[in-house]
Amino acid sequence: MSGVQLQNITKTYGNVQVIHGIDLSISDGEFCVFVGPSGCGKSTLMRMVAGLEKTTGGSINIGGREVTRLDPSQRGVAMVFQTYALYPHMTVAENMGFGLKMNGMPKAEVAEKVNEAARILQLEPLLDRKPKALSGGQRQRVAIGRTIVRGPEVFLFDEPLSNLDAELRVDMRVEIAKLHKQIGATMIYVTHDQVEAMTLADKIVVLRAGRVEQVGAPMDLYNDPDNRFVAGFIGSPAMNFLKGQVEDGGLAISALDSAPATDLRLPADGTGVEFGLRPEHMRVDPAGRGFRLDLVEKLGGVSYAYLEARTGERLVVAESGESDLVDDMEVGLSFDPAQAFLFDAQTGKRIR
Amino acid sequence: MPRHPGQRFALSQRQAAVVLLLPFLAVYGLFLVYPFFKGVWISLHDWNLMEVAFNPDAKAYVGLENYERVMWGRNIVWGALASPVLQIIGLIGVCLSLFLHRTGRAGRTTALTMGIAAVLLFVLPGFHPGEEGRWFDRRFWPTVGNTILFVGLAVPGVTVTALLLAAALNGETRAKATLRTLFFLSQVLSVTVVTLIWQIMFSPRQGLIANLTELFGGTPITWLTAEGFAMAAIVIATIWWSLGIAMILFLAGLQDISKDLYEAAALDNATGTQAFWHITLPNLKRTITVVVVLQIILHFQVFGQSHLMTNGGPNDSTQVLVRYIYQTAFRDSDLGRASAMAVFLFVIMGSFSILQFVLGREKDQ
Repeated sequence: MSGVQLQNITKTYGNVQVIHGIDLSISDGEFCVFVGPSGCGKSTLMRMVAGLEKTTGGSINIGGREVTRLDPSQRGVAMVFQTYALYPHMTVAENMGFGLKMNGMPKAEVAEKVNEAARILQLEPLLDRKPKALSGGQRQRVAIGRTIVRGPEVFLFDEPLSNLDAELRVDMRVEIAKLHKQIGATMIYVTHDQVEAMTLADKIVVLRAGRVEQVGAPMDLYNDPDNRFVAGFIGSPAMNFLKGQVEDGGLAISALDSAPATDLRLPADGTGVEFGLRPEHMRVDPAGRGFRLDLVEKLGGVSYAYLEARTGERLVVAESGESDLVDDMEVGLSFDPAQAFLFDAQTGKRIR
Repeated sequence: MPRHPGQRFALSQRQAAVVLLLPFLAVYGLFLVYPFFKGVWISLHDWNLMEVAFNPDAKAYVGLENYERVMWGRNIVWGALASPVLQIIGLIGVCLSLFLHRTGRAGRTTALTMGIAAVLLFVLPGFHPGEEGRWFDRRFWPTVGNTILFVGLAVPGVTVTALLLAAALNGETRAKATLRTLFFLSQVLSVTVVTLIWQIMFSPRQGLIANLTELFGGTPITWLTAEGFAMAAIVIATIWWSLGIAMILFLAGLQDISKDLYEAAALDNATGTQAFWHITLPNLKRTITVVVVLQIILHFQVFGQSHLMTNGGPNDSTQVLVRYIYQTAFRDSDLGRASAMAVFLFVIMGSFSILQFVLGREKDQ
């Protein structure tokens, strides 16, 4: 039993509050991803779990133990740093075994655990090398190996892939997912990349400005976002938003000629709303009117059409397959209103 | 490159380099290279400063006689146990360097350097005058010994103190910044001021140290005139004086160590002293090497502290090589012999410079 419970966690630097009372429960063996734009406090929150930042208020439980005031080494956590933070003067084996050595484990036992972890990560041929002699991906694996050796209750990953090139990033993402399946430990993973979040997580925590915006399984966040921020953050390319308002009990969206039909319980007339449409839920209608086609990006399997409405609002439409659209065409837009989302323009809350 | 119409001379990159280097090369040659070779040349002559000044022909070529008169003697023999303590330390050093190299704990250069130093320590103290023999210059080797003792005390003293200070003052608080400045301040003082301050400090009547000793009921030590304490006194003054640069170098080295490493170490249960030992020290290895070698080169040239604080006394116990060279040349007017000693000093310092060059280029594996 090694879940993590955060209760009303706050953090202030001087008189600036960066984390505003976060409650969160991560169950045993769960892969939890903290995601959000830079400065949202996701790294700070993880570092508070690790004990590298002091917790200003609230309590942290790991595996049923209150650890809020404990030293990092006593919390049963191990962490992979963005910069890997490998000890440059130690070999791979020494790097991986350092924590156990510091905890007074006999040499033979340390070697055994290091070899075991090296086997899992295919690091055996590299054990005698120094970090300097490794590639980025290998360093990353050593950093992960260092955490496995410790046998922690909770693994922490602080943007572990952001220093790797695009191709390697995909490989490592798959490896981390496999690793989680293999050892089944609780993992917390921080990233600003929503693709990593979607592909790895059992549970995503979307953070903004030190507050939790929404917690849920990846597809739940995608299909059922609570607010405009989550809707815009999850999904790639991002959701399109068109401004409008409630008029005569129906929707009036300036960029659209006809009012989309809706069976939502709309707020009072005059309320400003934003009409959200995912790029993959729309079609470009070459016979239609109302939008100018700025540019088409053809990626092979999918094409992205960039449209500009009369109102100046811009939209992206994902067309599957090869598209025969031409730049600067006048086009229309078709979509299923049931797949659209509606948000209160003032509060950003979803209107259901 | 297209030429401008008004441009009369166009220099190639190589020519430009030569032109820019020329002023430096001229000064370097005139004030360093030429005097050095002149010194070597003088050391091969019987050269009385006064006589030659008045009559340039009053010098005589004597070959290596000056070197012999300085470093050798009559009936000098070698014994494996002439100076047992030093020679045994030398032997232990030889074994240790072999052992460290075999077990892979020391790199090739390090082991080789240690080995050479150990062999020298075994061989050199073994020379001594045999029956009815004597050194031609009784004061030279003891002076060399004093200089080495001074270097041997001052260099570790400066290095360790500066390292601890740097570790303690490495931070962003205002207090630490102020203290860093304060500790560096002594570096800018001239040797006259430093020795004056410390002469007062060490004074058995009015000095701070004597006052403190009396406060705790002790009898004040006459630091500068007691044979066992005079060397310690000039070493202490020297450490205080030359702390600054070493501290700055260490601070620069410390800033280079990523904060992440300490955080990783904290998760690995290494904080405080453990982190210093396992993270800070190994990552400062290069800086430590640079500081040590620079200090060795610097302190072999010690002159002012000995000259101004103790006059080389008591009983020659703080007589150092540069002061002896100075006296031989300008008090005894024996420029030839003084130059021979200077060349000897050059060889010692030159080998440390080469060592630094080699260690600086050696990539840590």
